[in-house]
Amino acid sequence: MNCYLGVDIGSISTKGVIIDENNNIITSAYIWTEGNPVNAVKNLIEILKKDLNSKYIVKGIGTTGSARKLIGLLLNANIVKNEIMAHAVGTLALYPDVKTILEIGGQDSKIILLNNGIITDYAMNTLCAAGTGSFLSSQAKRLNINIEDFGSLALKSTNPVKIAARCTVFAESDLIHKAQVGYKKEDIVAGLCKSIVLNYLNNVGKGKKIKSPVIFQGGVSKNIGVLKYFKEILNTDVIVDPNSHLMGALGIAILAKKNKTNNIYDLNIKNIDFLTKANECKGCSNNCEILKIYKDDKLIDIWGNRCDRYIKN
Amino acid sequence: MKIGIPKALYYYYFFDKWRYFFEELNIELISTNTDKKILEFGNKYANSEMCLSLKIFLGHIAYLKDKCDYILIPKIDNFGLNEQMCSNFSSLYDLVNNLFDVKILTYEINHQKKKNEKKGLFSIGLQLGFTKKQLKKAYQIACLKYHKQLKRDMMINFNKLESTKKKILIVAHSYNIHDDYIGKTIIKNLEKYNFEIIYSDLFNAKNLSHYLSLNLYWKYCKESLGAIVLCKEKVDGIIFITTFPCGLDSLVNELVMRKIQLPYLNLIIDDLDALAGIETRIESFADIIEQN
Amino acid sequence: MANYYIPANYLIKNICDVEIIEAPFITTQTIELGNKYSPEFVCTPFKYTLGTMIECLDKGANMLLQFGGGCRYGYYSELQEQILKDLGYKFELVNLITAGKINIKKIYKIIKKIDKNFKVSKGLYYLYITVNMIKYMDKIDDYIRQNIGFEVEKNSFNNLLKEMLEKFKTVNNPIQLYILYKIYFKKFKKIKINKPKNCLKVGIIGELYTLMEPFSNYFLEKELASFNIEIKRFTNVNYLLFDNKKIVNKALKKSKKYMKYKMCADSSTNVYWAKYLGINKYDGIIHIKSSFCTPEIGVMPILDKIANDYNIPIIYFSFDANTSEVGIKTRLEAFYDMLEMRRK
Repeated sequence: MNCYLGVDIGSISTKGVIIDENNNIITSAYIWTEGNPVNAVKNLIEILKKDLNSKYIVKGIGTTGSARKLIGLLLNANIVKNEIMAHAVGTLALYPDVKTILEIGGQDSKIILLNNGIITDYAMNTLCAAGTGSFLSSQAKRLNINIEDFGSLALKSTNPVKIAARCTVFAESDLIHKAQVGYKKEDIVAGLCKSIVLNYLNNVGKGKKIKSPVIFQGGVSKNIGVLKYFKEILNTDVIVDPNSHLMGALGIAILAKKNKTNNIYDLNIKNIDFLTKANECKGCSNNCEILKIYKDDKLIDIWGNRCDRYIKN
Repeated sequence: MKIGIPKALYYYYFFDKWRYFFEELNIELISTNTDKKILEFGNKYANSEMCLSLKIFLGHIAYLKDKCDYILIPKIDNFGLNEQMCSNFSSLYDLVNNLFDVKILTYEINHQKKKNEKKGLFSIGLQLGFTKKQLKKAYQIACLKYHKQLKRDMMINFNKLESTKKKILIVAHSYNIHDDYIGKTIIKNLEKYNFEIIYSDLFNAKNLSHYLSLNLYWKYCKESLGAIVLCKEKVDGIIFITTFPCGLDSLVNELVMRKIQLPYLNLIIDDLDALAGIETRIESFADIIEQN
Repeated sequence: MANYYIPANYLIKNICDVEIIEAPFITTQTIELGNKYSPEFVCTPFKYTLGTMIECLDKGANMLLQFGGGCRYGYYSELQEQILKDLGYKFELVNLITAGKINIKKIYKIIKKIDKNFKVSKGLYYLYITVNMIKYMDKIDDYIRQNIGFEVEKNSFNNLLKEMLEKFKTVNNPIQLYILYKIYFKKFKKIKINKPKNCLKVGIIGELYTLMEPFSNYFLEKELASFNIEIKRFTNVNYLLFDNKKIVNKALKKSKKYMKYKMCADSSTNVYWAKYLGINKYDGIIHIKSSFCTPEIGVMPILDKIANDYNIPIIYFSFDANTSEVGIKTRLEAFYDMLEMRRK
């Protein structure tokens, strides 16, 4: 039987899904990237292979996420797409009538608007990391709170503190101040959750018509505090799918299926020697950082050059 | 009839005259102080990259929109070739007109094209059904009363320069100095110390600005710089207040700070709750001034 | 900015006897230099030009020429001069535009000072050639922009452009220039392209420096072309120097629904262009500017409204010296995917 693999390699976590011809998930896995996408993907594939019945043959592979290009080369993927498209397709497979996807991830946040299964508009954060997952976890560390308890602590608050969260630097100084003045921890935490929602809506969601059904995804969607304030401020129900972290991988697997060729893919990549070498081009004062990708000691691609000079050399 | 005047941006340059003018015509003016609610409104409508002062302005519009018959928004382009305004002042009308569903009274100030305030107010008056005679009278009275008041305020400000206390010059746009949430909070903080507080916008010194900057062509920056030139021998320190990310101040203040010899404090205000850290900065600045 | 240094150098070289130090192409080093010495939230062109100035001074220039007008541009030179003097450089900085108007007297004085043998008639003659050169370049650029995404042989457009500009440098009368322009336009039209009839069409609007300096927008147009998109850009030097007033008036007349007054810098024309793109059924609008560009920020809500009324997607990019290139690519890619999906 045919099956398709989708891999979503983010800055923090790496997700993988294998689906069958009817988009049903056969198996899935979720591990930390730990700054090494190649290793993470090798481990991921090993985990996925364990649950994969030998009757299945892989007919398509897709990669998405910030390391999509590199891993696309490693896996010989037949499709490499950005995460916006992958998330939209993945979510549509489970919720065909979805109108709005809110997403807050580790490094960036985005909003996708859909109509009749077609993306009609989208936006991503422009300013900085304010209001994303990494900001939340660094603040949690500062307040000495476990990030997993963040949401439940926020729910305890009855009087969330107002926190200026337009920019990480301003937010941090404001947060320190509020803590020093002696506000209760749960009120500060609730304030942070609320400010993330407000910041998101004023920034990424500015001028976008948010229609239900609304689906909330990305790492931060696991935070029930943030979810609560989304519901409260949007005044509508906001769905968080238990598999929401897999949407990108699912989407790219579906896209790989749509794009399939007659090729059959091999998942034995454990022993492939995959190496990236970086060096600076001295051609001009741009000093582009040239990345050379080697697969089993064979140069397969060069990235990072702004002009054509380096290739000629 | 009620006309809403957002208490932001141009309010601080024109309101006093408008007040007397519309008083004569028996029209009620409505405006409110900036507070947290206003800022929340502002954040809702404003683009995240807009400067804080503009956000506050939009917040005021959101507050006023159901409370009055008209909102008065002039388009201010320039007061002459070398007296330009910040670009926001020339897009306010169209911005509000596109963002909100409100009735707007408007006129253009563009001295290069011979469009001034008097003509503008008359056109509004005629639009509202007053006669030329009524308007003429009202405008005369308004000018008289306004200038009397302005003169008095300027005298008070000027006389402070002779005070024996340590003196601090506050340099900022009027709409930042006198805003209830920005300037007033800072000034309240300053009042704890025994300083004389002098305002850069209450001088008539814009002709002096060329001592600091030759090519400057923004009216209100010229006034601030003129005030610095006038006062620099007499004051002990300068506090600059800028709302983030003000385009004019980013250049002009940088230039001034490179040229003056006085101790100064540069306060950049973003979201208002971030005023937190300002208390400490004012405190340490006050210490420096006291020690000199 | 882009290739416009060619006509500018041409003009100066031909009317007076000076050695010109060509501003080097902007590189990451330029940006680093500019960033280091600029105030914090000044707009990006300030940082870029400051960086370029430092590089020129290091190469031995003793006079810097700058054209700046409108919004904050006009005030750049004074602060930049102060910053550079504080750094210890000795030079003369001349801004040729004051308060939005070209200062002819000042220019004449300066030229006289540099070269005593300067003749007005000669100056006007070469000015005429230069103006035409810019006009021709803009026309050719417009054609290239619409077709470069579909070239069969890679770099065929750029190579021909380079060849043409080299020839332009050596002309010495208007007729010769005109003939060259005609010849090359024909050559450009002969370049093989593989363009489907209903390809995606996108309009680029926004703040002029970022639009015209490819380095400051991370070669956005090149990236778009690689997706096989036809690009329409209105802003060029021709618009800036010669057609500005005409277009602004037209803009005000044609988009009364969205604006009553002329707005600062290019905001009014951008509103009109956005409407134009909407009416003419383009697939999308890309609005680019440098961070903290006040006039453009002020009209963004109006552009949003237009996009909504005409059902045309719009995407905004704010470029800063610290913008991540990967982030831009991801967003552009997603924009392209969305446009494709909407077509179906």
